[in-house]
Amino acid sequence: MTQVAVAAALVVLAIVLSRAGGLGLERELATSAVRAAVQLAAVGAIVTLVFEHGGLAAGFVAVMLGTATFTSARRLSGIPDAPLRAGIAIATGAATGVVPMLVSGAFSTTPRELIPIAGILIGGAMVATSVTGRQLAERVRDDLAAIETRLALGVPVKVALAGTVRGAATTGLIPLLDQTKNVGLVTLPGTFVGLVLGGASPGEAARVQLTVLLALLAVEVVAALTVARLAVAGLTAAGERVLPPR
Amino acid sequence: MGVRFPSPACPERRSLGASHGAAREADFPAVGVPRIQTQDLTIARGGRVVLRGVELEARAGEVTAVVGPSGAGKSSLLRTLVRLDEPAGGRVLIEGRDAAEVDPCALRRRVGLVTQAPVMLEGDVRANLAYGLDAPEPAALDEAIAAAGLDRSFMGRTARELSGGEAARVALARALTRDPAALLLDEPTAALDREAAASVEALVRALAGRGLAVLLVTHDEAQADRVADARLEVGA
Repeated sequence: MTQVAVAAALVVLAIVLSRAGGLGLERELATSAVRAAVQLAAVGAIVTLVFEHGGLAAGFVAVMLGTATFTSARRLSGIPDAPLRAGIAIATGAATGVVPMLVSGAFSTTPRELIPIAGILIGGAMVATSVTGRQLAERVRDDLAAIETRLALGVPVKVALAGTVRGAATTGLIPLLDQTKNVGLVTLPGTFVGLVLGGASPGEAARVQLTVLLALLAVEVVAALTVARLAVAGLTAAGERVLPPR
Repeated sequence: MGVRFPSPACPERRSLGASHGAAREADFPAVGVPRIQTQDLTIARGGRVVLRGVELEARAGEVTAVVGPSGAGKSSLLRTLVRLDEPAGGRVLIEGRDAAEVDPCALRRRVGLVTQAPVMLEGDVRANLAYGLDAPEPAALDEAIAAAGLDRSFMGRTARELSGGEAARVALARALTRDPAALLLDEPTAALDREAAASVEALVRALAGRGLAVLLVTHDEAQADRVADARLEVGA
């Protein structure tokens, strides 16, 4: 309880500093903190229930996937059928990591292992999907004249958009690449910290963290490429034409 | 609600060599017909009809001026002719063939579009001229830049650092590297001083003299009188 009290005091400090610094973020900081408290309390209760009733695990993973899809879709403004495209990208990316982990026996299918692993990988796929999709829509909107110049020179839309897709996907993957390169040197990621605080040995925590980080590389590359392809499909039309994001 | 994928119809590269010409003739077999023709063409922008019933013919060796006030739909007409936009009604014929049935990449090489504010792509002028071509012959690039009235020394210049007039000529040369049958020029002298504009007008006549069909969009009636063999009034 002391931990939560100290953390809450830090939020109050952040709100005071925001007001003193004229950032205007006081309301958003307070709302975010309250939301996080409510959501984590609810999740704690629900996960306890799910751990005791294995049949609920699949439903819980589906809820995580749905929430991630909804969150990403809001970022893909201007892309038609954004929820469908975001959902496919997140599910495909997450499955790239989850399925081999479970099939190989690296993690068991018990709720206690399935839910944290699925959550981390779905979260990674969501971030890659959101950033890549949003970047792609913005770049197509901003670079429309250059893209249409390329089309007018007689190249297919796939070629005209190649640099745009590459730039968007690269931007979507930069956070994970930086985190993976600097893990242990600059940051101690959540899995490692959680396991150590939960009583696992640092060696054991490092092994699990490494597994997650390496799996995330594949998960996020697949999610980024999938959403890029699906977004391009939504922003192009027959006759090698580009439809600017709405 | 469904996910669509773009048509894979266009080849990803096309060279300037002999095979290019052979493929082009197969795509556009007609001889002696207008290079560009429209039949009862209707153009809409943002759901609003801006041009209706356009009947246009652009013939080889001729300059056809499209004249009309700003906002009349002249630029939209050019975009529709190269299928960057689809017509709301009627037909576009490219050398006698319905444009809707022609591979769009082949069509856009056959009909070069130079916009009013041409976009220079990344890299130098040579890279711009060679964009989308598979190993173009240096002599072909030299010929194109000369035809646009620029010296070969421009080849190494960074394209995005060129002046407006220089960029317009590079855009023209870039279109010529595709060996087009027709050129669509959207207000090519709008940003130029009188001397530079006269030079571009002479260049337009020279390009028609080479056998190209040139469609010149202009709001300047006097320019149309000086340069064009035929004219189409829009939005009058």
